[in-house]
Amino acid sequence: MKAIDGLLLKMELRRGVRGVLVWTLAISVAIVLVIALYPMVIDMYAAIPPEFADLMRAFGGIPDTIVDYYASEGGMMLQLFGAIFAALQGFGAINRDERERTAESLYVLPRTRGTFFRTKLLRVTIEVLAFAVVCALASVLGFAIVGEPVDYGPFFTFSGLNAVVLLMFTWLSFAMACLMKTNAKPMSAIAVPFTLYVISIIALATDDAILDTLKYLTPYTFADPIEILKSDYAFEWISFTVYLGLTTAGTVLAWRAFAKREFLG
Amino acid sequence: MNVITVNGLRKYYGAARGLEDATLDVREGEIYGFVGPNGSGKTTLIRILAGLIRASGGSASVFGLTPGPDSARINADVGYMPGESFFYPELKVREVLGFFAAEHGVDLARRNELAGILDLDLGKRIDALSFGNRKKVGIVAAMLHRPKLLLLDEPTTGLDPLVQRLFLDILREEQKRGTTVFLSSHNLGEVERVCDRVAIVREGRIALVTTISDLATRKHKKIVVTPPRDLILDGLERRGGTATESYYEYRGETEALLRLLADADVRDVVIRDATLEELFIGHYGRGDGR
Repeated sequence: MKAIDGLLLKMELRRGVRGVLVWTLAISVAIVLVIALYPMVIDMYAAIPPEFADLMRAFGGIPDTIVDYYASEGGMMLQLFGAIFAALQGFGAINRDERERTAESLYVLPRTRGTFFRTKLLRVTIEVLAFAVVCALASVLGFAIVGEPVDYGPFFTFSGLNAVVLLMFTWLSFAMACLMKTNAKPMSAIAVPFTLYVISIIALATDDAILDTLKYLTPYTFADPIEILKSDYAFEWISFTVYLGLTTAGTVLAWRAFAKREFLG
Repeated sequence: MNVITVNGLRKYYGAARGLEDATLDVREGEIYGFVGPNGSGKTTLIRILAGLIRASGGSASVFGLTPGPDSARINADVGYMPGESFFYPELKVREVLGFFAAEHGVDLARRNELAGILDLDLGKRIDALSFGNRKKVGIVAAMLHRPKLLLLDEPTTGLDPLVQRLFLDILREEQKRGTTVFLSSHNLGEVERVCDRVAIVREGRIALVTTISDLATRKHKKIVVTPPRDLILDGLERRGGTATESYYEYRGETEALLRLLADADVRDVVIRDATLEELFIGHYGRGDGR
């Protein structure tokens, strides 16, 4: 029994390369542009009325440095769009073959369901990691273009944790695809990162203690760019542990479902 | 030795029946037809054998192994062709078949040989292929690795008559090499040309397992004559009628029948081959003679 089917991995990576490139380039270019705009937006921030500046405090306040600015603009954008990309990739790894009806040709190859499962999961892991690395490098390029000093320690901490969040979304949406019916729409995968993003925004904006606990329901909390890049940072273990558990449980359930999954063509 | 053994196999899709109590065996080296109308359960059985879906009850074995848990081992020696062949749409035929050849660990000579026989353009993209040409890709993909067993779901549907004949010739060649073939069809002529035995399936149940020679003895023509006439000829049997037409079954030379009809002062005649269901009407237990 093969742990991974190298030929299938190569084929799947090849088939996915165009989509990955489009997403990666689009988000990377957007990040570079957002960072490169920093010298121009400093003046805009200076003109913001004090009452509006108070409102912005929940979302990182008026940035003092380029890293502050990156945290509230580039970092949050990267996280939301990255999570949507990750969810679509994870879901599509299973769903695409069923939608395109290639499953009936693929799953009769002499490989175990386990080999298919691991190979497909590895493929999306590679794709999403590549996306996260290129986007982080694009951020570095943006900083280099502006030419302001940057403390790269917190930046790389954020980039690493952001990659973990993206992988969690990838694996969770992969699990969703295994647990849902074969005719499920890929857009249903987006509902998870988007809803959790809204929850994290509510938790971030509120002064209410009960609503504040919502932050533990979202993985964005332990990789919050504002927390990591702007203030005294303490790792958010609860949110991390909740999502590590959910991802692990989801993957185990997904495996059990995939092993019995019926491919109806 | 049996290559396929199916015993009391059932499959339900929720409340909908797929297959009901199917029992059959396929011997090594034979071409076995699984014949019945659309929706009778043919595809369901083939998908269970290929390990794509699980049975709701009963048992099935291929090479003595259980489809599903043992499908990785079984499928090393199986060539499966679905009713509609779908492959990676953005790739060329050459790349898709190259991938399947590599997955089975065989070189590309067989791909090129089969593509040549079937006149398949390897340079075309899959999404640019017609239904029939995608079917040809399915045939090549199923036969690339010279499997011991071919599971073919309606293999000739959508192929033009010339390619159908070529394909049936290929099947006979494979049989000479010892390959076992299990094919589903609703085309009696195709089954007659190539199969050794057939199972007739209807509404999920196997109505009859028989040989092709038995099938041939049952073959007859159905005739509707307007207005009603009393016709007498060896092999011609009246099977009822109405005020406006009479129904006959005929086993014999067509020429003699045509001569009789020419002299019978009839306004209209319909002559057709009996359908599969009509051939086995005794087993199916219904029909009105037309």
